[in-house]
Amino acid sequence: MLTKKQAMLKMIQKGVIDMMPLNLAVLPWGILCGSLAIQRDFSVLEALLMPMIVFAGAAQLVATELIAENAPLLTILFTIFIISSRHFLYGLALRQKLKILPLKKRVAIGFVLTDELFALTTDKKALKGKLRLAYGMSAGFSFYFSWLLFNIIGIVAGAYLPDLTTLGLDFAIAVTFIALVIPTITTLPVFVAVCVSGVLSVVLKLMHVELDLVISSIAGMYCGYITLRWKNQHKLNEIVD
Amino acid sequence: MTLLTIFLLAIITFTTRYLFLHPGLPVKLGPKVVSFLNFSAPAVLTAIWVPIIFVHDDTLNVNPLDPFVLSATIAVVISAKTKSIYWTVGVSVLVFACMKFFL
Repeated sequence: MLTKKQAMLKMIQKGVIDMMPLNLAVLPWGILCGSLAIQRDFSVLEALLMPMIVFAGAAQLVATELIAENAPLLTILFTIFIISSRHFLYGLALRQKLKILPLKKRVAIGFVLTDELFALTTDKKALKGKLRLAYGMSAGFSFYFSWLLFNIIGIVAGAYLPDLTTLGLDFAIAVTFIALVIPTITTLPVFVAVCVSGVLSVVLKLMHVELDLVISSIAGMYCGYITLRWKNQHKLNEIVD
Repeated sequence: MTLLTIFLLAIITFTTRYLFLHPGLPVKLGPKVVSFLNFSAPAVLTAIWVPIIFVHDDTLNVNPLDPFVLSATIAVVISAKTKSIYWTVGVSVLVFACMKFFL
């Protein structure tokens, strides 16, 4: 038998271990973000604050470039808002489970609610109860500190590194998401959601639509939802017949 | 000025993550909305990874021998077969790195 404390420690450990591949996948990106900030003449403090408080991937990279180009403040803020707006969906999806938490825990888990953590908490039971919440927290914060560490490596090595933006470093991120999504495609509605969202994301990206990510996601979700309703209706009819 | 910008950016990223977790927000989610939101993870993650593979420099790239496309195809197959994140990421990143290095 495990004592409560042991069980808690086990869950914290498991959170870190399960998050590890996702942590490692952003290693090249973290180094890139840190070194780019230095190469674009950010001070060390500014370069540190980016991963510490802005704590974003693509948004952080784009913001660094925009700040370096002296883009208007409103342009910078609006662009980052657009890139970051997919997080509203995560908040909505987890609202029922997390709104009941005490303030400190709610703010903490909200702060580390990244694509990666959300991907790890898709199970219906995820984040419910003290142990699962501890698991989520440790996964989320292990990602935070990994991201910070990789950025710091980039900041320190920044001046000595070549421009890394052309190496195809985003492949590692794409492939972790593939590894997270494919096993969840077990039903027709999920399959439909994934196909619609995938095709539309490419089309909208090519068309330079600003909210491409959010629009294609919502369209995919809606088609998945419709398919599910159609399936349920079908089943219902069969029972009635 | 940069510091101020960074603080404002931090407020934006935090708000997008935290807003809907706030209990004071007058949002009630019915069963239909919850069922719709259940599709958010596969849909959003897919909308992130698919363009990384197929859109380069604003053009569609569906060449099956492109490092991105070929490695991603291998990743999809391995993931479907093994369901292991380690095998999927390990093998496909290795293939990708080799193709980038040797081609």
